Amino acid sequence: MGLAGCGSDSGTATMGTSTDRGTLVYDPPFRIASLNAADFGSQLGATAAGQSLLLVAGAPACGVDFYHLEYNTVGGAGEKTTASGALLVPTGAAPACSGPRPIVLYAHGTQTDKTANLADITNTNNTEGALIAAVFAAHGYIVVAPNYAGYDTSSLPYHPFLNGDQQSKDMIDALAAARTALPNTSSAATADSGKLFVSGYSQGGYVAMATHKALQAAGVTVTASAPMSGPYALEAFGDAIFFGNVNIGSTVFADMVATSYQRSYGNLYTSPGDVFEPAYASTAEALLPSATPVATLFATGKLPQTALFSSTTPVTGNGTLDAALAVPANPVFALGFGSSNLITNAYRVSYALDVLQNPDGVVPASPAATPQHPLRQDLKTNDLRSWIPHSPLLLCGGGQDPTVFFNVNTLTMQAFWSALPPGLVTVLDVNGTINPASPFAPLQAGFQTTLAALLASGGQQAVVQNYHVTVAPFCTVAARGFFGQF
Amino acid sequence: MIARIWTIAFGILAASATVGARAEEDYLSNSLRVGAYYVTYDTQADDIRGPFVPAGANLRVEDVITPYFAYVRRLNNHFSVELAMGAPPLTKTEGKGPAKLGSVPFNGQVITTARWLAPTLLLTYSFFDESARFRPYIGAGINYTRFYSRQSTAAGNAVGGGPTSVDLPASVGPAATIGLSYRLTRHFSLYGSLSASEVDSRLTATTAGVKRTTHISFGPRTAVLAAGYSF
Repeated sequence: MGLAGCGSDSGTATMGTSTDRGTLVYDPPFRIASLNAADFGSQLGATAAGQSLLLVAGAPACGVDFYHLEYNTVGGAGEKTTASGALLVPTGAAPACSGPRPIVLYAHGTQTDKTANLADITNTNNTEGALIAAVFAAHGYIVVAPNYAGYDTSSLPYHPFLNGDQQSKDMIDALAAARTALPNTSSAATADSGKLFVSGYSQGGYVAMATHKALQAAGVTVTASAPMSGPYALEAFGDAIFFGNVNIGSTVFADMVATSYQRSYGNLYTSPGDVFEPAYASTAEALLPSATPVATLFATGKLPQTALFSSTTPVTGNGTLDAALAVPANPVFALGFGSSNLITNAYRVSYALDVLQNPDGVVPASPAATPQHPLRQDLKTNDLRSWIPHSPLLLCGGGQDPTVFFNVNTLTMQAFWSALPPGLVTVLDVNGTINPASPFAPLQAGFQTTLAALLASGGQQAVVQNYHVTVAPFCTVAARGFFGQF
Repeated sequence: MIARIWTIAFGILAASATVGARAEEDYLSNSLRVGAYYVTYDTQADDIRGPFVPAGANLRVEDVITPYFAYVRRLNNHFSVELAMGAPPLTKTEGKGPAKLGSVPFNGQVITTARWLAPTLLLTYSFFDESARFRPYIGAGINYTRFYSRQSTAAGNAVGGGPTSVDLPASVGPAATIGLSYRLTRHFSLYGSLSASEVDSRLTATTAGVKRTTHISFGPRTAVLAAGYSF
């Protein structure tokens, strides 16, 4: 018997040597937690948020094993990097919990916390991880959900926010890694059935649609997808914002978009001061995502909380344009204006002038043919009015969403695809008129009841601040119902 | 009363020490001992630290019995050098703390095993003359413990989140013993002793690059019953 002086005598996961896209860093991946259905239900039921989630998602039917995937992918400029994500595997004796099961490839919403890890069900702040586990994995779906390059253990020093090409590659690479890993895990009684669904919320709604597009282009069959509350028509959305329809969360999104597109394409500015006011220019590029809570970034003046644009209206010499750029009367949009604003007036005017010269046709036309402004060029590059789906989609959202405008994005895509065969694209507004015959009617009623309770308890401000996140569980359960048809 | 018993006992031993006194050259210088080693662990470990480890997760070590061997070299009438060790026992480390981590059983589960090669070198002092049948002795020295065949069990892998490697560096620490010998014949004797040694190490469990560590003081307390042959 040989003796080992140090080190270990038992095996652990193999560390991969390949840096090819979609290969695993560790195989098998690390299982953070294993919860049977009863324990998962108990854990969720221990918090008010979890109790609300259980009401919408239903009690877990399956246990869930939570794996932390690490895999190789690429950054926004095509550079090699690593990323991490969650592989959530349903477990249990019930036929719906093991054996061949469908995969949901899920893209998460905008996250300012650089350390965020969807697989970490032990972290009570991981609400979106709990959501997808409760809605999908605990009801028999294998879930693959990247944390995205630039987060958690990823080696990328920035996040390619709303870069459709990179983010879809990140998703596809996570899927490949998960398919490699699954048979080697302790949950190998659950296997890939071959059915592939794609979904995501907010930023992830955009990423889900971009991923459906990329998979389809690669010849991979997507059974169905359910992008939710996403900024799909990016150029039109950008134009709306720059013309004063400022969305809730705009300062965070602006900082992340600028960093992403500058890193990916290198065309956005010569120096950050071309875009950002001097108070923010020196730190804007490395600000988000951050391990520092975003509330601290706001409190310490690193980022304005709501003031995207100056409350001092720029003077361009064009009276009509000046009027269009003035602080809007809509009180929600007006929140986006202030004296400690993020974006310079000069930058805003240069963008607006390009909108006038190269207008976005919105519907039915595609984005402006030849925008000259670098940001509009980048938004057009990533605008999803650029493809026709071959398999069904459910586009779910809230009609009054002040964070990602439903009409500019979801309804624009619906109009863009209006000539497609009936049934290929389904749109659900959880805040819309309830058709009792619709299978989604209970979810619409549930959302609207929740919204009314929010209004009663916190007033209009609470509704504005929480509308976007309140939509998420209802749309996610709608997606599960939609996928269940296939 | 207790003092009186001790007085009587030492009187008997002292009397026996005078019986059959022999010249120095008559004594045998080498001795081999074989017996049984009962090891109980007074384990003191920090709570396990690392990613995704809940508060209060700790370890304990199961007691073992293993064969005992020793070689003793007589230096003079009172002093000897003893090199003792047990056949490397398979020592089992159990989880201590929450009943479950998630839904995975933890408390009381054997999560790692390791074999110990733990030679102890002692300088012992025996009371009374060598001609005495009963001789109490005390000793102090040094223990070296080397761990090998370190394995995470199936239960350990389940708790740890997958196939897990276990690192447990060697330890060097003081050791002490107290015992009693009983001479049966010129060549054969019986021995009983109690010993303690300090065995400290840092246990590191690694699963897919995720490391969890704890400083662990095993605190082995041993009882030995052995027969010896002198030559």
